Amino acid sequence: MLPDWMRESPRPFATVLVANRGEIAVRVLQAAREAGLGGIAVFSDADANSLHVEVADQAVHLSGDTLDQTYLNGDAIIEAAKGCGAEAIHPGYGFLSERADFARAVEAAGLVWIGPPGEAIETMGDKVSARLLMIDSGVPVIPGEEMAVEEDADHLGVLASAAARVGYPLLLKASAGGGGKGMRSVREPRALRAEYEAAAREAAAAFGDGTIYIERLLTGARHVEIQVLCDRHGGAIHLNERDCSVQRRFQKIIEEAPSPAVSPEIRKAMGEAAVTAARSVGYIGAGTVEFLLSGNGQFHFMEMNTRLQVEHPVTELTTGIDLVQKQFEVAAGLPLGMDQPEVKQSGHAIEARIYAEDPNRGFLPSTGRLVMWQAPVGPGIRVDSGVRQGDEVTIDFDPMLAKLIVHAPDRHAAIRRLDTALADFVALGVQTNIGFLRSLAAHHAFQSGGADTEFLANATPEEISGPDADRGTLVAIAAAAQRLGLNRAQADPADGAVDEHTGHPGDPFRTLRRPFP
Amino acid sequence: MEWSVGDDSSRYSAALGEEDGRVRISTLSHDGVDMDPPDVVVVRDEKQGRLRVEVDGRPRLAHVAKSGDAWWIHMDGHTHVVHCHEQGSSGPSTSEGSLSAPMPGTILEMLVKQGQRVREGQALLVMEAMKMEHRIQAPKAGEVTKVHYEQGERVDMGSVLIEIGD
Repeated sequence: MLPDWMRESPRPFATVLVANRGEIAVRVLQAAREAGLGGIAVFSDADANSLHVEVADQAVHLSGDTLDQTYLNGDAIIEAAKGCGAEAIHPGYGFLSERADFARAVEAAGLVWIGPPGEAIETMGDKVSARLLMIDSGVPVIPGEEMAVEEDADHLGVLASAAARVGYPLLLKASAGGGGKGMRSVREPRALRAEYEAAAREAAAAFGDGTIYIERLLTGARHVEIQVLCDRHGGAIHLNERDCSVQRRFQKIIEEAPSPAVSPEIRKAMGEAAVTAARSVGYIGAGTVEFLLSGNGQFHFMEMNTRLQVEHPVTELTTGIDLVQKQFEVAAGLPLGMDQPEVKQSGHAIEARIYAEDPNRGFLPSTGRLVMWQAPVGPGIRVDSGVRQGDEVTIDFDPMLAKLIVHAPDRHAAIRRLDTALADFVALGVQTNIGFLRSLAAHHAFQSGGADTEFLANATPEEISGPDADRGTLVAIAAAAQRLGLNRAQADPADGAVDEHTGHPGDPFRTLRRPFP
Repeated sequence: MEWSVGDDSSRYSAALGEEDGRVRISTLSHDGVDMDPPDVVVVRDEKQGRLRVEVDGRPRLAHVAKSGDAWWIHMDGHTHVVHCHEQGSSGPSTSEGSLSAPMPGTILEMLVKQGQRVREGQALLVMEAMKMEHRIQAPKAGEVTKVHYEQGERVDMGSVLIEIGD
């Protein structure tokens, strides 16, 4: 049965299949339930007991050992959707979300694709064609070489001369890229070859396309992006900016809205440029136009991400707009129902990405069992998580465990809330970056709002490591825990103790080992 | 039982006293040298996996959980790992000069051969884990005496990858 809000829809759907895993699959499945839609999950062997399977109304197994056979297997996913009566597919981010051929195949199979048209994905997905289109549309781009170096050929000479023309320091970017994969900075010519090969390999593995292009590395710039929303009736608005300047190896770590570096004038100009970019490519749905903002207020187009982004919650909290619900509405053919002046900005939101990685070992991925996982709760605290206590963290997937998002009346209050919530985040059994995030949030460069994209690369290890605890005290606590038998208590989760979430025994959700939902 | 904290391999020994469910540390030694035990009292909390800890008389709560041979402790907003070892057991098994895998993953490329001289910080191999590439560098200068894995092989965390002699 269709939910009320979809009664007027020209392209109605009652059930959504989510072609993803982890926190984003959980997020979209919960949004589907809230919207009155059925939610179908897909899962590989490694995810048979994962949280996203648990929150779905139904889950379809994708057999195979590799990502190509499972989460990247478009045919199997479309077949799964048809087999269980799903009428729409939401791709989340990553995986198939920016594969134009998949978007077309979904529509060709008679299903509703919750995303932009294949052509928009294709044009923006190819960074070279995107640059050319932006130049045509009058959107400023970063100086660079729109020369594509083809894979599987000895193009190192071509590469070296192009690099010399662009000038060092430069950036090698996967033409099909995103998420920092296939992206490398090169500061001197002798590092070019090794970085190129690594970038091409990473790009080929992540996107099935090893094409690389070269861009000038702008120093002292901030990464500021604009969220756009477009419907099928010519409506196109932007939902202000997000600042994602705090990055490590091009992986965003902390994102916030609004940006401390964006004035109302810049916001207006950048927002208009983003809407122009979206319109120029015939965009439909939720998308993000990324810019580099220089200290002098100039901004340059970097790329457009034709999907929902990891950091979308900071926009949701500050504008009050549920982006996944808007994606559903637009996909169903409904108008946006709002104009630019109706977009509000309320308070300040910050997102911190919780990764399973060890800051003391060069941020190498960490694996193990999450023997304890207690996310913080409280006013203005949102946690989008893909894991729960007892889950095994493996090397098979991206190391992001969850996102902590805080919302407060102003930036200083939001930073204090972030630090308090991070301090309350209990994640035991796997090394995480939580302590590192606290040090980051406490750093004067971040506190002052002056952190640019090189902030982390330039920070000394002392500046971003936490305080040392007294080791004797820690040994005393461990020895006492052992003496008190806490390891034995933990081995028996099904004892008759009072449920810690609901405060009474026999709770029906107790067997799920987590609070509802 | 002996203890080590975090990545530091030095060993601690502790003796505990217990009175009315209050566990107190009575003696503490570090690598065989006695030190003043900290003023710490630990009491079980009603909530599973949580302890009441008084440090210098100031109470706070600590979440603790054991995974393998390690106690994970979350206290005052920070997470710590304390490893427990059988009395007298040897330290980390990796010998001097060997390079073990810092994470589980796949060897993408082996950049050095047996017999090759390497300088400190030189890239030895490229590993992939969680869809990202990581370059493993030589911890010291020397000659590669043994290469244990080839391109394409999967390795567990701690597997010895390469041995480097002087």
